[in-house]
Amino acid sequence: MSCWYNMEAPDGDIAVSTRIRLARNINGYPFPARMSDAQRLEVNAKIKEAIIGSDSPAAKRLKYIDMKDVPENERLSMLERHIASREFVLNSDNKAIILSEDESVSIMIGEEDHIRIQIIMPGLQLEKAYEIAESIDDLLCERLDMAFDGTLGFITECPTNLGTGLRASVMLHLPVSESNGDIQKLSRSVNKIGYTVRGMYGEGSNAAGSLYQISNQVTLGISEKNAVDNLKIITGQLIQKERELQKKLDKIKTEDLCMRALGILKYARVLSSAELITLICRVKLGINTGVIKEDINTIKILIEGQPYMLMKTYGDMTEDERDISRAEMVRNALK
Amino acid sequence: MLCEICKKNVATTHIRSVINGVAKESHLCAECAAKQGVDTFTDNGLSGMLSSMFGDVMSLGSPSGGARCKCCGSTFSDIAETGKAGCPECYKTFYEEFLPYIKRVHGSVKHVGKIPGRSAEATAKEKGSNTLSDLKAELAKLVSEEKFEQAAQVRDKIREMEAQG
Repeated sequence: MSCWYNMEAPDGDIAVSTRIRLARNINGYPFPARMSDAQRLEVNAKIKEAIIGSDSPAAKRLKYIDMKDVPENERLSMLERHIASREFVLNSDNKAIILSEDESVSIMIGEEDHIRIQIIMPGLQLEKAYEIAESIDDLLCERLDMAFDGTLGFITECPTNLGTGLRASVMLHLPVSESNGDIQKLSRSVNKIGYTVRGMYGEGSNAAGSLYQISNQVTLGISEKNAVDNLKIITGQLIQKERELQKKLDKIKTEDLCMRALGILKYARVLSSAELITLICRVKLGINTGVIKEDINTIKILIEGQPYMLMKTYGDMTEDERDISRAEMVRNALK
Repeated sequence: MLCEICKKNVATTHIRSVINGVAKESHLCAECAAKQGVDTFTDNGLSGMLSSMFGDVMSLGSPSGGARCKCCGSTFSDIAETGKAGCPECYKTFYEEFLPYIKRVHGSVKHVGKIPGRSAEATAKEKGSNTLSDLKAELAKLVSEEKFEQAAQVRDKIREMEAQG
């Protein structure tokens, strides 16, 4: 199956992925946290009918999946492919998801809100992603009685999402900006205009792999277009800055750092998840700076090396077994 | 910068919140941020602070008294406890209680985006860029495009609006 991270990534040297999320609810039902099992099933059926049952061409490419039919490893791997939230995959009773074939469209049913439309695309593609999200939203608005108020906008369980219900985010790979100490400055300045910066991976010390996510915080009093345009401007500047910094790097030191990383990935027999993230992101830097000439889809390797992605393919494993299997998967990918 | 909770790891999650008009910045490591309920899907760092913000609203007394939402049976204190509404109807039932809180979170209580059944673009055109955050967004865009004359006009409009409060 060809997944979203196999597609071409515009500005993919720095921008890893773009995500658009719209939160929506239907009138006449409590929010999912307070719904009875019967109500959940009723709402699932309504949403399924509204999307899959429509004669929209977009609907033909979408598939409705009952989460109870999804095996555990597959379910948890959805989090690693960024197509469902942690809360959703950990507690998936009476929940459902609608996916496009490449999983760039995922519609979670019964998460915090009745409907969470999510579009994820490689690289920086905010407008395109929003356009797709809006077309699905139009379909829902046409066919369902959506919870909406003229003043508060789209009604959501959490007041922080009221208004547009839109969260737009971009994941950026910022290794040199990070080592320059620019991230805190950046975070302070984007905070002032209602945006947030956070490290993507890592369970402790640094943002592993220097991957950062920038997203909007305010959803009420700002239009979708402005929220998306703003983010595009912010990320555009960050990308430019990082590119300039990467050009100025010491050639031999960068070459050494990136080639060592590639060497370990090509020959290691045991590879932890944390080590993979750090090393594959160094390889990415090597590709960006022209040090590494090989054609390597680093984001694909990063995602497919995650624990549940491995177990989905190779079956249940202990952590030690996974580290061996991960090393093998990476060696094969880099052959 | 080290995480302000564990003081061991490097802070990689930076959250800014405005509570009672007072801006507060938190700098946390990924581990402590996750413990506070902030992950990449939580969308923003506000959820952990929600109930404390509602707490302030509660202390002012609730205009609806002990009323319950007709649709889901929630009282406003149920909502304040979790920071989350029970059903769409709750916002109508407890509108007065919600307003000051929503204003704190978003700085605005007027939706200017998409209206169901109409495209966002059509709505935006009709409404024009009238809110402060819209104008600020426009300003950032004009500056980045180096359209300084137009930017100056927008800047003056923003100053005017800010002066009016």
